[in-house]
Amino acid sequence: MRALSFSRALALAAIVLGLLFALLSTTANHALMDFVIRLASLAIFATSLNLLAGYGGMVSFGHGMFYGFGAYFFALTMQRAGVSIPVAIVASILGSALLAAIVGVICVRLKEIYFSFVTLAFQMLIHATILAAMPLTGGDQGLRGGVPRPPFLGLNLSNQKQLCMFSAFLLIVCLFAMHHVVSSPFGATLRMTRDNADRAAYLGIAVDRVRLKAFIIAAVFASIGGLLQALFVSGAYPDFAYWTVSGEGIFVIMLGGTTTFLGPLLGSVLMLLLNDFVSRFTEYHGLALGSVILVVALGLRKGVGDFVVDWLSARSEADASERTKTTEAAS
Amino acid sequence: MTDNDSRIGRRAALVLGGGAAAMLAAPWVARAQARTIKIGMPTILSGRVATLGISSRNAVMMEMEKVNAAGGLAGRPVEMIFRDSKAQPQEAARVVRELVNTDGCEIIIDGEASSGSFAVQEVARDLKMLTIHTCSETSSLSADPKLRIPNAFRCVRQGVHDSVAGAAYAAKIAKEKGLKKWATCSPDYAYGRDTTAEFVGYLKQFAPDVEIVSESWPKLAQPDYTETLTKLLQANPQAVYSCIWGGDLTAFIDQGNLYGVFSKTPFFAVNMADYTVLTAVKNLPQGIHSGNRYIKTFPMTPQNAAWGDAYREKFKEYPTNWSWQNAAAVAFLAAAAKKANSTDTAKMSEALMGLTIDSPFGMNGKITMRAEDQTIVDYAIGWGTTIPKEPYMPNVTPGDWKQIVELETAWKKSKGYI
Repeated sequence: MRALSFSRALALAAIVLGLLFALLSTTANHALMDFVIRLASLAIFATSLNLLAGYGGMVSFGHGMFYGFGAYFFALTMQRAGVSIPVAIVASILGSALLAAIVGVICVRLKEIYFSFVTLAFQMLIHATILAAMPLTGGDQGLRGGVPRPPFLGLNLSNQKQLCMFSAFLLIVCLFAMHHVVSSPFGATLRMTRDNADRAAYLGIAVDRVRLKAFIIAAVFASIGGLLQALFVSGAYPDFAYWTVSGEGIFVIMLGGTTTFLGPLLGSVLMLLLNDFVSRFTEYHGLALGSVILVVALGLRKGVGDFVVDWLSARSEADASERTKTTEAAS
Repeated sequence: MTDNDSRIGRRAALVLGGGAAAMLAAPWVARAQARTIKIGMPTILSGRVATLGISSRNAVMMEMEKVNAAGGLAGRPVEMIFRDSKAQPQEAARVVRELVNTDGCEIIIDGEASSGSFAVQEVARDLKMLTIHTCSETSSLSADPKLRIPNAFRCVRQGVHDSVAGAAYAAKIAKEKGLKKWATCSPDYAYGRDTTAEFVGYLKQFAPDVEIVSESWPKLAQPDYTETLTKLLQANPQAVYSCIWGGDLTAFIDQGNLYGVFSKTPFFAVNMADYTVLTAVKNLPQGIHSGNRYIKTFPMTPQNAAWGDAYREKFKEYPTNWSWQNAAAVAFLAAAAKKANSTDTAKMSEALMGLTIDSPFGMNGKITMRAEDQTIVDYAIGWGTTIPKEPYMPNVTPGDWKQIVELETAWKKSKGYI
């Protein structure tokens, strides 16, 4: 799909945000508000993983470490330092960028399965550290006592509706920012290193540096997803940094599609709907999720988002050739 | 259109149709206010601990039938809604919010263990519905004043109570038999580490001669305990303490039997006397010392035995420790609604403070919801030794609640909670 230009993407983001705000300001539906908050968290995380895996060809099995790190760093900063929420968010972004730089320097040099497994190893290291650092993190009981949410700029995030608006705002801003990254020259370079790293290197591109930058950018957005989850549950738990979070991310982008920018967003919507819907009726939700992934993987052979896009473009091409035929016949 | 096109069309239609159906069926239904009172219960219904979650749900269903037969809560019939939390704290938080906000539940019975219960506590702080925790044994949940809220209670045994009662019992035997060299072997996570440290601390307080010669920390769900067992044998202790539980304990006993560990050395396993373990072990050794989890023979009353049998009759298996806690929680809710003559959160919470109920699970037929920290005391707590067949633990020495409370208070002071 052709990428949108900067001004078009900006306009689109503004319109969607306006519509979302209009919808959310009129609703009193708590389930919808919770859904939007959780969607923002998961979709930002999944899109950031797609930036790495889909656009950069770096399939990380450990991306969840930044999600967990963001949640803990943010919640701890709020609990211990008594700063305002924006300051804690910026601190979490800087913290996770630093962590990503350290982990990335080692990982981005590795290819394919080696990259995947070393990221997984780092994730388990972070998870084990969270469990072991009892006095700081509360160990396996999680970070207790709630995340304080002092009002800032007239926003009170203890209020569910305002947290929901804030999450929607962050979702759109992050999606816009990530879209900008992938459609910029940097994004093109990243895709080039994915498709043919040797060729990119011959053209004078410092491949590892590009990959490291992408790794750090993806980590920063993953941490924003994590801190939204911390705000939602008012705490942080070691599960947030466990490998299953990374697995869920991969599941989501497979479900939604890796070749379209909004595929992971679609995947997140489907995943959450599926989870919420299925777990209302049965405890055999694993069976349902497994069946869905089988249908998608074996039936569609690509994500739902990819499928829809391919279908639409095939149809418009068919229409175009039809029209050409008609014109030819008429002339 | 070609054949190929039409096939894609059908597939796409299926996908779109499925998506639309999911959207329409999404649980965003209007909250209905009715005379029926809905009570929501998140618990662990899938994964490794599902047996315990299911035994919690069973107990609640069984007891709620009785409540409904007797006219419900303050005249309102009860409808229970159960949800699986998958043992994930974030899912527990979400499910509770959904139960309250979407399904219209007015009370939550929280069947979550460890971290999940803390997540539910935060939701209860936020949404202010009456919440009663029924499975989390971590003491800080009710002991830490920073976590406490007026609308949340806990109807669960506690790690620190078990440690005091267990250490007092063990110290007596240690003195009688001259057991000085002890080894510990407990799971490597917060519960295992904390409970063991507390037990050892109290044991040394009661029997100052005791020394710990070996410590092992096997992982949760470890399939092979060879390493732990050989370490134990090498240390050659006079007695062993362990707070391994559930399927792990079953595996540990089965493997330890091969080395004859339990015939030589007195073994103190706080979580042994739980039917899920007692009935699953292949050759249950004679004479293992254990705390009571749920056992029909303690308290040795007709009410307790009748309750255990009724549960077994209905669900074809014996109740677990989680079962009695949930059954007691339902009794507390019923008693509080009766006392307050209302199902209002504030009124019921006030009624629950310091409430004493008659219960088959009480040490003297009664359990009290202590007002100062909203958690139960005077429940049946004791230690005994196992025999290889029913009733598995025929004689249980009751713990001393006066001593337990005294040392619990000292423990709270040492933690800065009071």
